[in-house]
Amino acid sequence: MAQEKPIDLLQGTLDLLILKAVSLGPLHGYGVLLRIEQLSGEKLVIQQGSLYPALYRLEHQGAIASEWGESENNRKAKYYRLTRAGRELLNAETRKWNRMAGIIGGILHATPEEA
Amino acid sequence: MSLRLRIARMVAPPRSWFGSVFRRRALEQRMESELACHLESLTGDLIRSGLSPQEAARRARIALGPALKHKEEMRASLGLLWWDQLWADLRYALRILRKSPGFASIAVVSLALGIGANTAIFTVAQHMLLDRLHVPRPEQLRMFYLSNPRDGVIQGLWGWWDDLPDGGSVTTSFTYPVYEQLRRQNRVLEDVMAFKPYGRMTVTMHGNAESLDAEMVSGNYYSVLGVRPQLGRGIQESDDAEEGSGPVVTISDRLWTTHFGRSPDVIGTIIQVNATPMTIVGVNPPGFTGAYSAQGTPDIFLPFSMQPIVAPQDFDPAGSPSLLTKKDLWWVLVMGRMKPGVSAASAESSLNVALSAAVRANFAVKSDSQIPKLLLRDGSRGQNPATEGLEKPIYVLLALAGLVLLLACANLANLLLARAGARRRETSTRLALGAGRGRILRQMLTESLLLSLMGGAGGLLLAWAMRNALPRLLSNAWAPPAFSAKFSWSIFAFAVAVSILTGIVFGLVPAWQASRLQVSAGLKDTGQTSTQRRRGLTGKAIVVFQVALSVLLVVGAGLFVRTLMQLGRAPLGLQPHNLLLFNVQPPEKRYPGAMRNLVLQRLEERLSTVPGVRRATLTEVPLLAGNAINNTFIPEGQKRKPEGNPSVLSNGVGMHFFETFGIPIVAGRSFTASDTSTSPLVAVINQIAAKTYYPGVNPIGRTFETGGHHPATIAIVGVCGDARYYRVSKSAEPTFYQPYWQKLNGIPEATFAVSTTLDAQAILPSLRDALRQVDPELPMLDVRTQDEQIAANLRQQRIFAVLTSGFGVLALVLACVGIYGIMAYSVVQRTSEIGVRLALGAIPRQVLAMILSEASRLSLAGIALGLCASFLLARFVRSMLYGITASDPLTLSCAGFMLLLVALAASWIPARRAAGVEPMQALRHE
Repeated sequence: MAQEKPIDLLQGTLDLLILKAVSLGPLHGYGVLLRIEQLSGEKLVIQQGSLYPALYRLEHQGAIASEWGESENNRKAKYYRLTRAGRELLNAETRKWNRMAGIIGGILHATPEEA
Repeated sequence: MSLRLRIARMVAPPRSWFGSVFRRRALEQRMESELACHLESLTGDLIRSGLSPQEAARRARIALGPALKHKEEMRASLGLLWWDQLWADLRYALRILRKSPGFASIAVVSLALGIGANTAIFTVAQHMLLDRLHVPRPEQLRMFYLSNPRDGVIQGLWGWWDDLPDGGSVTTSFTYPVYEQLRRQNRVLEDVMAFKPYGRMTVTMHGNAESLDAEMVSGNYYSVLGVRPQLGRGIQESDDAEEGSGPVVTISDRLWTTHFGRSPDVIGTIIQVNATPMTIVGVNPPGFTGAYSAQGTPDIFLPFSMQPIVAPQDFDPAGSPSLLTKKDLWWVLVMGRMKPGVSAASAESSLNVALSAAVRANFAVKSDSQIPKLLLRDGSRGQNPATEGLEKPIYVLLALAGLVLLLACANLANLLLARAGARRRETSTRLALGAGRGRILRQMLTESLLLSLMGGAGGLLLAWAMRNALPRLLSNAWAPPAFSAKFSWSIFAFAVAVSILTGIVFGLVPAWQASRLQVSAGLKDTGQTSTQRRRGLTGKAIVVFQVALSVLLVVGAGLFVRTLMQLGRAPLGLQPHNLLLFNVQPPEKRYPGAMRNLVLQRLEERLSTVPGVRRATLTEVPLLAGNAINNTFIPEGQKRKPEGNPSVLSNGVGMHFFETFGIPIVAGRSFTASDTSTSPLVAVINQIAAKTYYPGVNPIGRTFETGGHHPATIAIVGVCGDARYYRVSKSAEPTFYQPYWQKLNGIPEATFAVSTTLDAQAILPSLRDALRQVDPELPMLDVRTQDEQIAANLRQQRIFAVLTSGFGVLALVLACVGIYGIMAYSVVQRTSEIGVRLALGAIPRQVLAMILSEASRLSLAGIALGLCASFLLARFVRSMLYGITASDPLTLSCAGFMLLLVALAASWIPARRAAGVEPMQALRHE
């Protein structure tokens, strides 16, 4: 069996993944990318260009905050961390996602007998 | 959603937005370095995975994608997109406007004039019609009005009244006893207070006598109005307890500033009011204007209790000096403050019961129908006397200024339309390159809004510069302005709102058309696509509309200018030049009753001896100043009827009145020294009175009866020519003139008229000296010439003539610009057609005629439309015209002719250009 190809991100889930990624500790933009790919077991590919508009949108909405820090290779980098409002947003969105996944999963598992 | 999240969602975006806008450079750097950092980290990781540095950098760049696009999206995430586009649009609009300064300046200047005129007139209108009294919660105040039936109990009245069509009248005046009883029985209003604008009193401060406006007020005046003086105290109940109990005054902020240098020591200062010592106890807050009007304030306020002492009555020489006990004189104004929760209707009916009882207690009432009805009306603006007679002119001016603005707007729309036409290629290119139609629409709107806001700023500046001009035009030349227009935020908001509305409404049509352009049509640049024909039609319709509006404004100007000219030519029946006027008001205290006549006579004699004075006389009422006295007139042989008698105008005049004013004596004699205060009463009547009341007989030697309560019989000794009395626009009415010194109780105020060949300023010092020699404490009031007095009488007509002429000239200029614009555009569009015509043998004269006839067709359509509109609208100003009809043929035809001339002149240059087209060049143009 051929190796499973990485899949593209579902529309609208990038914000949720970013929130989750930075909830584990402050990260810079590239770090967010790496963290998501690592958490997904390298199964998700994120369009690198769409990452920054999403980060800026979340910061604009007050879900994440940023400050300047030093990166691993001693460069100035912008580190994002979750705000308290962001944590609430993450929890709410996670609940929503789980419910949605349950419902959709239920529908997709339906067999002819059940209908 | 939790509260914190909700707050964060509300607060965070604007904070982030402002942060980004105000630290834009930092934001751009941040985006730049963040993307660079990403690229660097990615490249490093790729190198570590074994790629060559070049290959790693290449792959990293591919993986990240175009930085420019990401940055744009990051800006969009921060909500900066529309802001950036707005700035881009503005920069572009500014560049375009700089490239065509002629277009920009015409648009901006015409809008500035339109908006400026509107704002200036709105300022005055708001002040005159909307200003409220400067007291807390003025909307709770109610002014008491009385509706008096035809045979009602109100007979003796001192104050404002207005006739009703059914023969009754409306007034705001009450007798003092009726007011007192109303106040005692009031249960429905918070409280009821009284006041009276008493006119001028002679006030002596620091040894100088001056004449100042005074208001008499009840003891609860300050508490009902809710006003606290800025210094000292108000007039209180104890001041108004009984006759003479409160020799105190409060003064205006103005008087405190001009005469006491805003010193706190003013409290306790004693001043003389009509020669009665009074103590200043308080200074009113600035902006307080009393209860009578919101426009100008009296300078001193005193309690009613002082009336018998300070200003003893002179209506009835035999009566008591007090008006407070007088039962049959209606003179005090009454105001109350509404109680919360009481309806106006129930308050009114309850007060009417009290009024009915009060009237019955004071009058012998024969039937209920004689009792006046009390009406509670809005008192938030006082009685608002400034509005009297000005309301309609202000609305007419607002309407005219509105038309000017509309014209400026049409002009802007026309210019924008022509420019949109000229920029079709640009618009099409942008559309072809992928610009959204919404973007094009927005960009064009930005341009028109920029123009209209610039116009609005100019208009506001203009209105600010003119803020004092209109009040000055509306006031007498020799007196301080009757009011000062305040420049307020509401006016600023008005100007801004008008500008934005203008920009949107008149920018939208051209912008809409531009954005709907077919891409291919604009790029091909051949002539006759359907869109273009439609645009041509819109442009022409606007020009017709512009011409019609201009006709309307020019007709307006013509009507008011002709009115003023007719008034200037009006036969006055007297000789008004080289006459210097001033008023003298001998205080009742020093010169009671007929004593006043003696001091006036001394003055009259003394003034005639001043070098340079040809003649000096005086009148009880100044001529052509808007006032007149009306008296009963029962010719000899007729009986006095109880249901009413004829009345004529009258005036008390000095010895040399007829010679001084150049009014001819056509029969009998003038007054002489043998007519003394004790000799039989005499009078001179004018010709129209002789014709009306003594038809076919010689009136000389006959008598008439006059006067109400104290009838007198007067012998006619002469007949004089007809002279206009109180208004330039009012032809002479039956009038009798009486020697003032035969008036039993004297005249309270005299207007001296001095005929002199000298300049007014040159002779004034010696006249003042003469006055001082007779009585050093008599101030000389209201110095002016008779010509100035007449000019003041024509003030409203002059303002209208000046303003509407300005509007008319502006209208002509704008029409000219509009016609030139559309014809020039049309000629450019038709260049190839004209080339064909010329190539086929048309001579240039025919082309010239073709263009000119197109222009005249357009303008004739506009002129016809405008004349119809003027014909319909002119009747609204009929009452403001004199000597011409509202559809004055001369004015209408002149206006039409003028517009036609302007149209031809404006299209001459484009027509010449068309006639000069080189056929070969024009054909190649295709």
